[in-house]
Amino acid sequence: MAMNLTRRTFLKAASIAAASVPLSKVTAKAESGVVKTPLVTPGSFKDTQTAVGGVCEMCFWRCQLVGKIRDGRLVKLEGNPKSIDNGVSICARGNAGVKLLYDPDRLKYPLKNVGKRGAPKWQRISWKEALDTCGSKLKAIVDQHGAKGIAMFPHGSTATYPMGFFEKTMGTHNVSEASFFQCRGIRDTAYLATIELAPNENVDMANAKVIFLIGCHFGENIHVSHVKQYLKGLENGAKLVVVDPRYSASAAKSHIWVQIRPGTDTAFLLAIMNYLIQNKKFNVDFVEEYGEGFDKMAEGIKQWTLEKAAQECDVPAAQIKEVAELLAANMPNVSIHPGRHVSWNGNDFQRQRALACLTGLLGAFGVKGGFVQPIGPKGLGKYSWPKGESHDESLREMADLYHYSPPGTPTDLIRDTAITGKPYPIKGCVIWGQNPIQTIPNQEKTIKMLEQMDFVMCVDVMPTDITMYADILLPDCSYLERYDLVKTGTQWDLAEEHRQYIAPRMPLVAPGFERKDSVYITNEIAKRMGYGDKIPIQTQEEGVNKVLAGVQLSIDKIKAEDGIHIQPGKNPYGEMDLTVHFHNEEMEDHGYPGIPTYIPVERPPEGYYRLLYGRSPVHTFNRSQNNAWLMAENSDNPVWVNDKLAARLGLKEGDTVSLVNQDGVTSRTTTTVKVTPGIRQDCVYMYHGFGSMNPELTIGHDKGIDDQSLITKLAVDPETGAHGMRNNFVKFVKVS
Amino acid sequence: MSVHSLSRDQDDASATEAATLSSLYSFLALTMRYPDPAFCTEPFFDAFESLLASLDWPSELAAVRAWREWTPDPLDDLRTAYTGLFITAAPGTTIPPYASIYLDGDGTLYGRTTERTRAFYRERGFDLTDETEPADHIRFELEFLAALAGEARFDDEERFLQTLFRPWFVRFQEKSMQEARHPFYRVSIQLIDFFTKEEQ
Repeated sequence: MAMNLTRRTFLKAASIAAASVPLSKVTAKAESGVVKTPLVTPGSFKDTQTAVGGVCEMCFWRCQLVGKIRDGRLVKLEGNPKSIDNGVSICARGNAGVKLLYDPDRLKYPLKNVGKRGAPKWQRISWKEALDTCGSKLKAIVDQHGAKGIAMFPHGSTATYPMGFFEKTMGTHNVSEASFFQCRGIRDTAYLATIELAPNENVDMANAKVIFLIGCHFGENIHVSHVKQYLKGLENGAKLVVVDPRYSASAAKSHIWVQIRPGTDTAFLLAIMNYLIQNKKFNVDFVEEYGEGFDKMAEGIKQWTLEKAAQECDVPAAQIKEVAELLAANMPNVSIHPGRHVSWNGNDFQRQRALACLTGLLGAFGVKGGFVQPIGPKGLGKYSWPKGESHDESLREMADLYHYSPPGTPTDLIRDTAITGKPYPIKGCVIWGQNPIQTIPNQEKTIKMLEQMDFVMCVDVMPTDITMYADILLPDCSYLERYDLVKTGTQWDLAEEHRQYIAPRMPLVAPGFERKDSVYITNEIAKRMGYGDKIPIQTQEEGVNKVLAGVQLSIDKIKAEDGIHIQPGKNPYGEMDLTVHFHNEEMEDHGYPGIPTYIPVERPPEGYYRLLYGRSPVHTFNRSQNNAWLMAENSDNPVWVNDKLAARLGLKEGDTVSLVNQDGVTSRTTTTVKVTPGIRQDCVYMYHGFGSMNPELTIGHDKGIDDQSLITKLAVDPETGAHGMRNNFVKFVKVS
Repeated sequence: MSVHSLSRDQDDASATEAATLSSLYSFLALTMRYPDPAFCTEPFFDAFESLLASLDWPSELAAVRAWREWTPDPLDDLRTAYTGLFITAAPGTTIPPYASIYLDGDGTLYGRTTERTRAFYRERGFDLTDETEPADHIRFELEFLAALAGEARFDDEERFLQTLFRPWFVRFQEKSMQEARHPFYRVSIQLIDFFTKEEQ
């Protein structure tokens, strides 16, 4: 360019007339986004306001929040002082919600992929174009293949409303939630088959004499009120038993750390139960009153002597006995924790059954420190999408498999059907708040499934691995910008004054950019697919008000009560209406073991180590992998290697490695080695939820290793169809 | 010495110059808006070319002309280019056009700079029409400058340029020159630089 001309000379130049006339013609037509307003004196707008009604979603525990707002900008999140759940406490992730809200990489506008799935090239489009495209593409698929031609992968409270539409009204069974099929579904259905109740995490740890954890690593897994219960129990002198191949944060606080061989937990539990039965150290009265099929179980697990379990589990028989004695001595005031993420080895339903049976054997139901169901508020209102007319048989019913499946359809049934086209084609995919690339094992199959679709739409707050495969990508409101669920519960310590709370999620700030909430998006798609007359609510506020109206509350009333309604509660302790099915006849009729049964899993081949994964205390997997504050604290996932093993392999602390699994799949990225005596030699461990392949994440892209990329060999729980994800093995390739 | 305060203060600046400067800022703001058929028309591109011709920037003019001749659908092409450059791009080469990203330490949206920018607008009697986008988007900053120039408020203009605009724009521009391969945006950012920098 000719730089001799300056702005000043340009403006003064006679030639200006030639340029400025067309300029002003063009600009005269465009409205400015900056307009004249009354003068504001300096220093105005600086007062910080408190916005109430926040309900956190940096994880799924839903702590109640307030936001400190300055000039419409959220500057800080705090626990709501009125909360009887988390109180004023929120965790690191909760604090860092501000950075999610204002993450520059967040989805801001509807986008159309004008490139290829997996290698997207985005173009911002209007909501009208986006919704028209989604509506017409999905409708075309339904017209050609029926509702079953559409699969949905939802997650979280934002996806509840659209899931209602797609599953119930439109009528596809092909819905698979990671929270069920790659997480806790097994726990819920195993407990339902055993005690006829889904357990949640309803153990009264704050008042327990013994807390018994299999795999749970509180301190690394932080759900504030739950951790408060756990810590209060420990403060009050509860003995802590932690069964874990790794010296976890909980193991570090334990009285007994059982460094078990991964995958053998059921054998351990059966030996404890057998020991208690053989030595008549169980709660005979409880078992007689509430138990069914006890004798069959007692007979069936007789083989599980301490010695046999010791050999299988690779722990001393004396330690198994010590645990059993400790439980017996303190029953019924023991917390046998049901766990949360339990989809480990493909034999998990049996372990969960065994945990429920052990709780029954100890009579630890409805008593202080035992399994206690908090009594929350009743009478909340409801709204739902109406059930549609045509509902085909589900893939699960057609296959006559997985009779204890959680709600929805087991993921592999959907994925295999989509890939093979048998028994029918699945050609449309709706992904809402889930990142199936990092939640579902065998990424190659997931990608194959997506590639054969006629249409893929994603709704999310952030770019993720899966959003790279969208044809249309829609920006959702974050939990800080929307109304949705109504969180209810009780005071965190069940033994304290009984109180209940009702806390709807309310926005702390207005949605930014062109983000829309899931009620709007779903309704607009439903209208375009011909279901406009079935829409149950017009806005998210209407939905929340309908729920609150059941208990004579409203959004306005809750706001006036500082975001949380609190009312007197009920004593949760006392006799429970339950039966403990030590032997379950119905299960046997379906061809499953009637009593809790140990099913061994494959051991690592020579030179390979079982890949275990878990949580970073400051992350929630995909949800926080681009968060500036949290990544500043913890930006990758070093692989834990036993010190003796490391010495044999020539690995040192801080070495950079890539991992190769038993199928020859090499990690796309590298990580560092953490050498520690705190893990067994037959396994390695790393945090889940790192190493995103999406370069749209400025901070999180390629940080650490995506453990899921190495989980290629599938294990499916026969009772539930849920995945077991700890049956893959890796070896190291030293990079530097 | 800056162009604004001493050599061309409010009294002796001609009304024509003020109007021209205001039009220029408005025009530059348009180049930083998401391309819309309402303004992304042939006259818009023609005006863009006339401006380059008036400035005697032959190579930039040639690049823009070549692009116009080559592209079958300039609006569609600009939309994809804008999205990739300023909104999101799979190669990770996005250059967010918000001041706070460059000035507030941890690359955030709605940082303290956003607050300071909006306060600056308000304290001079202006505000945004729509609060869903941050006040420190380059488009709004240029529209604000257009409004100030339109009223020949050159002291305020200079102060804004010095304290809020240039400190982040230079970093934005530096990154843009690495990433912006599209001639329209590359040249637009060079034009913004030309019309906002202090003269030697």
